[in-house]
Amino acid sequence: MANDEIVLSIEGLTKVYRSLFTPIGIKAVDNLNLSVYRGETYSIVGPNGSGKTTTLKIILGLIYPTAGTATIFGKGIADLSVRERIGFLPEDAYLYDVFNGEELIDFYAGLFGFSKRRRRELTDELLSLVGMQANRKVPFRECSKGMRQRLALAQALVNDPEMLILDEPTSGLDPAGRHQMTELILELKRRGKTILLCSHFLAEVEEVCDRVGIMYRGRLVSEGSLKELAGEPDEIVITTEGLDSGKAVEIAALAAVRNVDDGVVRLGKESAGDLWSTLEAINRAGGRVVEVLRPRPTLQDVFVRAIRQDAEETVEEVQ
Amino acid sequence: MTAQLAFLIGLVVAIVALALTRKQWGPAAGHAIPSIWRIAKITVAEARRRRVIQAVVILVVVILVSMTFFSYLSPHEQSRMLISGGLSAITVFGILLAIFIAAFLIPQELESRTVYAILAKPVRRFEFVLGKYVGALIILAAIVVVMTVVLVGVLLIQDQLVQDLPDSAFNPNLEAVIFAAVMNYFAVAILTGLIILISTVASTTMTVISAFIIWAVGSLQSTIHDLAEHADIAVTKLLLLVVYNVLPKLENFDYRHEVSNYMPINVGSGIEAIVQGAGYTIVVLILASIFFNDRQV
Repeated sequence: MANDEIVLSIEGLTKVYRSLFTPIGIKAVDNLNLSVYRGETYSIVGPNGSGKTTTLKIILGLIYPTAGTATIFGKGIADLSVRERIGFLPEDAYLYDVFNGEELIDFYAGLFGFSKRRRRELTDELLSLVGMQANRKVPFRECSKGMRQRLALAQALVNDPEMLILDEPTSGLDPAGRHQMTELILELKRRGKTILLCSHFLAEVEEVCDRVGIMYRGRLVSEGSLKELAGEPDEIVITTEGLDSGKAVEIAALAAVRNVDDGVVRLGKESAGDLWSTLEAINRAGGRVVEVLRPRPTLQDVFVRAIRQDAEETVEEVQ
Repeated sequence: MTAQLAFLIGLVVAIVALALTRKQWGPAAGHAIPSIWRIAKITVAEARRRRVIQAVVILVVVILVSMTFFSYLSPHEQSRMLISGGLSAITVFGILLAIFIAAFLIPQELESRTVYAILAKPVRRFEFVLGKYVGALIILAAIVVVMTVVLVGVLLIQDQLVQDLPDSAFNPNLEAVIFAAVMNYFAVAILTGLIILISTVASTTMTVISAFIIWAVGSLQSTIHDLAEHADIAVTKLLLLVVYNVLPKLENFDYRHEVSNYMPINVGSGIEAIVQGAGYTIVVLILASIFFNDRQV
C-alpha cells in the first residue's frame, strides 16, 4: 500500500523544556529523524515519557521545537493547507463535553468551511462509520470511554484527511472497545490513509502497523518493519504431550535442546539441523509432538530488547 | 486634544493602509471571519449549556425586581434609587460576569485540552482568540440586554403604579438609562479584551486577580491622573502615569451619577470614549493573539 512519496518528514527534531526550576532543561525529544510514506501506517511506540506525544504536538504545531523541522506534504504545519489534509485524534478524546456527537461533528466540519448540507451529510456518514449513529444525541460527557474515542475519531475524519495522526487511540478502552478501534484503524488503512500512530499497546501496533519506530528517552532507538525489527526466529519450539518428567530431563540433556519446560521443548536456531533427530528422541521417549513452530520475536520482545540495548549503551557512554 | 488628534490620524492611516493592502489580507480575512464566527458560536452555545450564567442573571433580575419594594420613598427618590441601584447592579454584575467568563475562556480550553482538536484544524491561533472574544461579547451583550430590559420594565411598571399619586415626580429617564447601560457594555467589552490578553500569559487565578485590580484602577483613572500630577517623587509620578496611560479609562463609560441625578448627558464624550476604547481593544487583542501564538499548548 505504501509508496515512495514522503508525507511526513522529521529532521533533527529536538525539544527541550526549560523552566525557572530547570534552566538546563529537560530534553523531551532528542535529534529525532523519521519519515512516513504515503499509504503506510507508522507507529511510534515507547514507554510513558519517551517523547511520543511531544513529537506529535510539534508535528501539529501545538508546541514549537527547540531545533529541527517537521514537514507534512513538504510544507510546515503553520501552512493552513497542511491542516486541511490531516486529521488528529488526541489522547483521551478531549472534546466539548456539553455537546452531543451530532453537534460536535457539525462544529468541527464547520471549521473546514463546509456548507450546512455537507455538514449534515458528513455527520451521518461519520457517525455511521464509527458506529455512533444510534447514540448521536448522547452528550459527550455522558458517553462511555469507547464512545468518546469513536466520536474523537469521527471529528478527525471530517475533512476526509490524507493523513491521520492518532495519539493513543485505544488508551483506556476495554478489550471490546480496543478491538472496535483497531478494526476502524484497519478500515482507514484499507481506504489508503497514511496513519501515524502513537501507542504503548504493542499488540494493537503489531496488528495495524507497517513500520514501527521505538522511542526511548526522546530518541528513536530502533526503526523498521516488524519483520526487520524482529529479525529471524531465534528458536524452534516443539509442543509435546505425554512426556513425563524423567524423560523430559533426558530430552533436555540433548545437545541441540536449550530447555524443556512443561512439555515445551526449545531448540536454538543454530540447531535447526537437529530438528528431526530431536523429534525422533521425543517419540522414543513416549512423547507425542503436537506442534512445531519457529516463532518470530513479538514486538514486545523487540521493544524490550531495544530499550535494554539503549540503556546499556548509555551506561557505557557514561563510563 | 492632542491625544485625540493623534488617535484620529492613526485611525485614518490604519484605514488607508488596510485599503491599500487589501489584496494581501483579503483572502486571509475571507478565511478568518467564518472561523472566528464558528468559534464564537460554539463559545456561546457552550455558555448557554452551562447553567451558571443563567443563575447569575436570574439573581440580578430578582435584585432589580426587589428594588421596587422601597415604597416608603417619595416617587422622585424612588425613581432615583431605582435608576442608581439598577444601573449599579447592571455594572457590577456585568463586570463580574465579564471577569469570570473571560478569565476562563482560554485557560479552560487549555486545561480541558479541547483546544488540541481545534488548532489541529485549519484555524489560526488569532482566529481562535478572536472567536473566543466575539463569543464572550455575544454572551455579555445578551446578559446586559436582559438586565437592561428588566430594569426598564421595572421603571415602567413603577411609573404606572405611582402616576396616580398626588405630587408624583417619578421620572424613569429611560433614554438615559439605556444609554448608560450601553456605555457599561462597552466598558465590559474593553475589560473582556484585556482579561483575554492576560489569560494568554497568566494562570486563571492571576488573571482573575489582575482583572479585579484593573477594574478598580480603571474606575479611578481621574484620581490616578490627579495623583500623578501632584506626585513629588519622580518614580511614583512615572509609575502613576504609566498606569494612567496603559490601563483603560473605565470611568469614562460610567454614567450612573449623571443618569440617576437627571443631569445632562454629553453623548459626544461617550462616543469619544467608545472610539478610544475600540482602538485600545484592537491593540489588546493583537497582543493577545501574538502571545497566544507563541504559547506552547
